[in-house]
Amino acid sequence: MTLFDGFLIKTENDEYSTWRRYGSLGSVRMSQAILANNSPAIAFALSVLRTKEIVALKNKIMESYRQAFKSPFLILLAVPGLITLFIFNYLPMYGVLLAFKDFDYSKGIWGSSWVGLKNFEYFLTSSQLFVVIRNTLLLNVAFIVSQTIAALAIAVLLNEIRIKWFARLSQSVIFLPYFMSWIVVGMITQSMLGGQNPTVNEWLIQLGLSEVNWYFEAHLWPWILSVIKVWHGAGYFAIIYLAAITSIPEDLYEAAKIDGASRFQAVRKITLPLLIPTISILTLLLIGRIFNGDFAMIYAIVGDNSLLFPTTDVIDTYVYRSMRVLNDFGMSSAVGLFQSVMGLVLVLAVNSFVRRVSKESALF
Amino acid sequence: MNYSLRDRAFGIISYVFIGVFALLCFLPFWMMISGSFTKETELILNGYSLFPESFSTTAYTVLLQSKLLWSSYINTALITAVGTALALFISAMLAYSLANGRNTLRGGMLAFVYFPMLFYGGLIPFYITVSKYLHLSNTLWAVILPLVCQPFLVFLMVNFFRTLPKELEESARIDGAHEFNVFIRIMIPISKPILATVALFYALGYWNDWFMSLLFIDEESKYPLQLILRRMVSNLEAAKSLIPSNAGISIESPLLGVRMSTTIVTIGPIVLLYPLLQKYFVKGLTIGAVKG
Repeated sequence: MTLFDGFLIKTENDEYSTWRRYGSLGSVRMSQAILANNSPAIAFALSVLRTKEIVALKNKIMESYRQAFKSPFLILLAVPGLITLFIFNYLPMYGVLLAFKDFDYSKGIWGSSWVGLKNFEYFLTSSQLFVVIRNTLLLNVAFIVSQTIAALAIAVLLNEIRIKWFARLSQSVIFLPYFMSWIVVGMITQSMLGGQNPTVNEWLIQLGLSEVNWYFEAHLWPWILSVIKVWHGAGYFAIIYLAAITSIPEDLYEAAKIDGASRFQAVRKITLPLLIPTISILTLLLIGRIFNGDFAMIYAIVGDNSLLFPTTDVIDTYVYRSMRVLNDFGMSSAVGLFQSVMGLVLVLAVNSFVRRVSKESALF
Repeated sequence: MNYSLRDRAFGIISYVFIGVFALLCFLPFWMMISGSFTKETELILNGYSLFPESFSTTAYTVLLQSKLLWSSYINTALITAVGTALALFISAMLAYSLANGRNTLRGGMLAFVYFPMLFYGGLIPFYITVSKYLHLSNTLWAVILPLVCQPFLVFLMVNFFRTLPKELEESARIDGAHEFNVFIRIMIPISKPILATVALFYALGYWNDWFMSLLFIDEESKYPLQLILRRMVSNLEAAKSLIPSNAGISIESPLLGVRMSTTIVTIGPIVLLYPLLQKYFVKGLTIGAVKG
């Protein structure tokens, strides 16, 4: 059973199942539409159907309706949450229309005039597009690879540590950066690499190396950001991997030991192969979000430093800037819509792939 | 080849790697602490160092006199307290309803809650909805409300509620308890671990949020801590706004020091609560995120 079994409810009653597929809410909506609507078109449609069927249908609808109100308290409990989701997550979806409009703040979303695909044209022909999409994908790939390797190494080696207090203390310290806001991380980065004489440069000099002008060297930033990402998030993923490692039965290791395997061999032949399902699921889930740049991270660290844009400007920062600086709502919504649709397609594709491989691990 | 020797070598490598990585994770925190206690002149000359040569608490005494810091601290505290309470309340109710088999609208509701995790209307429509149609700009509600019901955390709770035995609820109802009482008196108390986990997730989210306030808050008096800090990241001079003119610093404004002390003050509560945070986070991650 997957987490979201409510998505597709399997009923024994086949006749009923088409309706159930949309969930009960779907059937209630349908019933409301049919019952409340007196329009001639509907009347005509209904007259085409046989009366007997309609009555049966109506009864079924009323039944599911009535049942919903058998437990009104449960429905009531859900209402505040559903309303906030509707306001903050569903209302903005209506705003995707903006991508096809020339937005005028005073006229609102509906009042602004239609421009067809002009917004997309602007954005598809702009030279920025390629750079921004490439950066988003490359940075995310770099983050996924570096974080996964670091987290695996931490989890596997942490599991080898026998001194309890040392394991606990180091795990705590490694997990700590995850709790820092990206602004704090940006501040740390700025203090280490920025200013008149960056701290890191002092170290480089002491090591006999030459100084680096960090905030002028765009090509270094994918690496710097990856290091920061590992510092910030490797502990988080390590804990997930560690949980997976502790669920591996101890007798496997004991048997290996009796057969004369060393700890390293046990890690290579037992731990890592058994971690592959967890690794692939986590990675696939991250790949599903590969079109989403990490705005909070990148904007907090890079900010409006245009010297670094060639390698660090991602779709999300680009959209934000077009909105706040250029006030170009139409084009930036077009970019946003493109990103949302690509994201949706990718998540669905990844999910159906995961489901084929291992049903339990699929999202839905 | 002696296996026990090899094992020992592997063990040593583990200790060294983990130890070094943990040290590297801790290093930036140490640099900030030491930086906040270093004299400004030394910071300008040498940058931040592991062990300051000159000790000074000016960066803190100046900061404590700053009205802007206090007002932003109060704002952040308000956002976190009100937001977490509201979010926990709303999400727990929704999750309980979604987890209950007697909720006949459950299928549709689950889809409704899940879909926003897949499709995002986009930044611009979101911005326009909140600022133009809901008129929440420059209020703390603009930060609190959009984050009040997060599908991921709701599902974490749904997962937990589903593991509770049905009989518990049924027997209470048969004994004549109203559903409201079943929820408040029985379900909430036995769900404390998951409620604590989710509350901490929400609290951390609110404390660390800066994106919502960046979008919607322009008035300095409504700034949360993170925004004050953000302003100083990109602009060194911005630290000046935190230093009161009557602070009696005639020689040199401790700009670099104040940046560090503000950071320390911002992360202070998180670090103090960290043992608690870590315990529940690890629990939440290992129980809830691994789906059942």
